Amino acid sequence: MAGPLMPLAMVRPGEVVSVVGVRSGRGLPRRLADMGLLPGTKIRVVNSMRPGPIIIDLRGSRLALGYGIAQKIMVTGA
Amino acid sequence: MNREEILEAQEKSLAHLRSVYREDAETVIADARYGFISGLIKETLKKPAVERRTISDSIDKVLVNRGLGLFIFLAILFGVFQLTFTVSEPLMGWIDDGFGWLADEAATISPEWLGSFIGDGVFGGVGSVLMFVPPIFLLFLALAFLEDCGYLARAAFVMDRLMHRIGLHGRSFIPLVLGFGCNVPAIMATRTIENPKDRLTTILIIPFMSCGARLPIYILFAGAFFTAYRGLVVFSMYAIGVILAVIMALVLRKTLLKGPSGHFVMELPPYRLPTLTGIIMHTWERGREFLLRAGTIIFAVVVFVWLLDYTGALEPIGKAIAPIFSPLGFGQWQAAVALIFGVLAKEVVVGTFGTLFAGAEGLGDLGDVVGAELAWTPLIAFAFMAFCLIYVPCVAAIAIMRRETNSWRWPAFTAGYTIFLGWIVAMLIYQIGRLFTG
Amino acid sequence: MSMAKEITIALAGNPNSGKTTVFNNLTGARQHVGNWPGVTVEKKEGTCRYQGYTIKVVDLPGVYSLTAYSLDEVIARNFVVEERPDAVVDVVDASNLERNLYLAVQLLEVGAPLIIALNMMDQAESRGYQIDVSQLSYLLGVPVVPMEANRSSGIQELLQEIVKMADGEVQTRGFRLDYGREVEEEIAKMQELISRDEELSRKYSLRWLAIKLLEADEEVVKRLGMKQG
Repeated sequence: MAGPLMPLAMVRPGEVVSVVGVRSGRGLPRRLADMGLLPGTKIRVVNSMRPGPIIIDLRGSRLALGYGIAQKIMVTGA
Repeated sequence: MNREEILEAQEKSLAHLRSVYREDAETVIADARYGFISGLIKETLKKPAVERRTISDSIDKVLVNRGLGLFIFLAILFGVFQLTFTVSEPLMGWIDDGFGWLADEAATISPEWLGSFIGDGVFGGVGSVLMFVPPIFLLFLALAFLEDCGYLARAAFVMDRLMHRIGLHGRSFIPLVLGFGCNVPAIMATRTIENPKDRLTTILIIPFMSCGARLPIYILFAGAFFTAYRGLVVFSMYAIGVILAVIMALVLRKTLLKGPSGHFVMELPPYRLPTLTGIIMHTWERGREFLLRAGTIIFAVVVFVWLLDYTGALEPIGKAIAPIFSPLGFGQWQAAVALIFGVLAKEVVVGTFGTLFAGAEGLGDLGDVVGAELAWTPLIAFAFMAFCLIYVPCVAAIAIMRRETNSWRWPAFTAGYTIFLGWIVAMLIYQIGRLFTG
Repeated sequence: MSMAKEITIALAGNPNSGKTTVFNNLTGARQHVGNWPGVTVEKKEGTCRYQGYTIKVVDLPGVYSLTAYSLDEVIARNFVVEERPDAVVDVVDASNLERNLYLAVQLLEVGAPLIIALNMMDQAESRGYQIDVSQLSYLLGVPVVPMEANRSSGIQELLQEIVKMADGEVQTRGFRLDYGREVEEEIAKMQELISRDEELSRKYSLRWLAIKLLEADEEVVKRLGMKQG
């Protein structure tokens, strides 16, 4: 995968990125996986209320993520 | 023997897979599932070249906007309250007149005790509460609409940042908003909050959301004592509630319920126009609770109060308790009695006054009559309303709290500290206010 | 006079999938709200009469998955595994197919007698989606009923499938997802070990248990730890 590694929180609205991993304990990655967010998944940032929540397009549905979570999800340019 | 072997084998397998895939087996498995689904989708779903979901997104660009989002939300909230009150006013007037007429007619029934019972007790007491069906139902209707059309999810999103500052997150938002309708379904709605500390904090501050049952109290006294500014006064009650909720959340999070906040991950369903049947059903589900309470608890209590009053037993009870409220300005036995029975259901505060002062001609008058009989000033009325706002959640809310937290500890704690807090706040309002009004 | 045949079905699905609307369509006013035993999660049940059948409908909590992450998921999963309803209807949001199918796949793995209610077809259409329903049904090996619960459309067809499923008229292929060689090897190992435990093999599908163990599912581990036999 090309491009630098960065937290989802820093991605600008409109950009499409690919998930690399989640820096967290067990609960969060699993919760996100249940919603469809896994390493390799492509997501598009729809809206960002930095330092507030982020809205992403994930497999066709809209998900709102808290800023703290967005900081833990590492992505790279798709 | 076998179970331990199985668990040991599990550990080994997990370790092996982790070394092979450099990821938890869990992730690999989830990945495989989605891989399968992807393949499935490719063969069964055709999407258009350009996604057409932009209507919701376009709306969201405005509503969930960084700058405007919060402002729009407050505006919508304000609009909802305004609409509710203006539309329901004439309706309330009709119901009020209707019950007033019934009460008068009933009073002429003999024997005299029966006439008093039906007139003052039933019509006077219960009628004064039923009068508030229009605003309460309209409020529920508005909430149902906002929820069904999908906006409430966005509002939670918008409020998340603010909620974070007080130690909660956006998920707590919807239950808190529901609390403005009725605390009981609001407390039940906290089930969607996964983090137990977040959930408990939310449950504990929901009672500060002025529920529909407190509305009659506000409208009654704001109308009588602040006629020109009554809208503002009612709004200030709601605002005081919210401010106290925020303070309590901060305090709780820093002391008893310290800990990290849960994750905020929430799905935003697309906007849709709610169906009429849908919102009516939701409104009815919640409003039905209110009517049931009016029909049962309130009725029973009002009748009980009437009985005590008629037999003269009410006054001594009130007089025994009343001195507690002297520093607050409303140390009269009627007020004490109303507050005591208000614990069962807050509407009963108005219902009790309605029974005690049944000579009043309708609600608009009731407020004035109470004021005159008890020699209240607007300041006292304000302190009284604040006390009603804060003290003890109603019995139904306490019961639900017990059920949802699986113990008596928290409801008891809430009942205790709210009485205490209410007393302090009302006392401060009255005493400090007196310094200014002489 | 023939007795009305009684069957029990469970309604599963993501939150926001329209599950509640389907529930209301099926049961109307004949609903009753209680609690799942021992917990403070609301349990909605209702009944429905159709062609001589009395159908008890149990509304499971809305979940995204059947892992043991939350109480809701454990409740949903336990109901399907322990109570063995005659049919499980998974209400799937057609405009959100990918994510909604995640639950369906797990229900299939648990061995549920699954029927997919493909709801919100109007939403999918308005987005320009075209879904090949029969192909979906074929690939998953389960009946798929397109619906628009908001307009009560598709309910009759759903009821027909439910009755067919309860009567055993539907042939369900055993569902088996290939997890890749390494994982499949470990699954086989775990399955072998589990098969030696009579109690477990009687009650649960061995493959499912093996997969759950590899997912480090807390609920399954807890059950294994508790039942010392």
